Amino acid sequence: MNKTSFHILRVGIAITFLWIGILIFKTPEAWGGYLQPWAVKLLPISIDQAMFGTAILDIIIGFLILTDTLVWLFTLVATLHILTVLTVSGITDITVRDVAILAGLIALTVDSLPNYILTKIKFLKKQNHLDKPMPKLKN
Amino acid sequence: MTNYALLFTLATIGISETVYLIRKRIASERPVCLIGGSCDIVLKSKYNKIFFIHNDILGFLAYIFISTITAFLVIGLEPIFIWNFFLKILITIATLMSLFFTFLQWRVLKAWCFWCLMSALTIWFMGLIILISSNI
Repeated sequence: MNKTSFHILRVGIAITFLWIGILIFKTPEAWGGYLQPWAVKLLPISIDQAMFGTAILDIIIGFLILTDTLVWLFTLVATLHILTVLTVSGITDITVRDVAILAGLIALTVDSLPNYILTKIKFLKKQNHLDKPMPKLKN
Repeated sequence: MTNYALLFTLATIGISETVYLIRKRIASERPVCLIGGSCDIVLKSKYNKIFFIHNDILGFLAYIFISTITAFLVIGLEPIFIWNFFLKILITIATLMSLFFTFLQWRVLKAWCFWCLMSALTIWFMGLIILISSNI
């Protein structure tokens, strides 16, 4: 990914996480309403407590992605978080937004993976190889 | 709410800008100067500090405070009028300082720094939002 587009996506995703975290703090009960009944039954704590935890997690993830700190790790955590959200909230009118966020997060994770992890992943190693410029042909 | 969302978004953009500049300064690397090529002249000038604190750190702290206060106002944390007052004071001071730094670039240093101008624009937008909004 181009470096400028990577940073634009990174800041955009970070703002989304920070803002959602604040909105959850504002009305935890409203956001808790998105949870499926089966997911609520599985919760060992109250919905409000779970929502406050989610808000704190969102704000921490958002801040660390915003400040360019261990982006690969926190976008990976955010990806898992969004996958959990998609699972426990089911398909609603706003699911498509989560899909867009998920796609952005996966793009950021793949693009920011450190070399020592990248070399262990066969598929990405091949992809990385393909991204390199073609060697010049000798006459 | 829309005004708070805009203020918060601008403040977070400011945080990312200043974090970038702080990281580059600590690593002794040149920041990417997207428009023009005078970033180094401005960032390494004698005006890059106020009271022994680098301007990028001051900017970072200002943006952190602005975003935090805006978040408090959105959540509805009491006392609202005090947060409102702090927010207005902070943005007014930041706007005046941005005007001063822009004047320095224009008249004294005669060089333009892309990141400094971006930060100034971010602050001026915040000032504009405060000015035109009635509920803040």
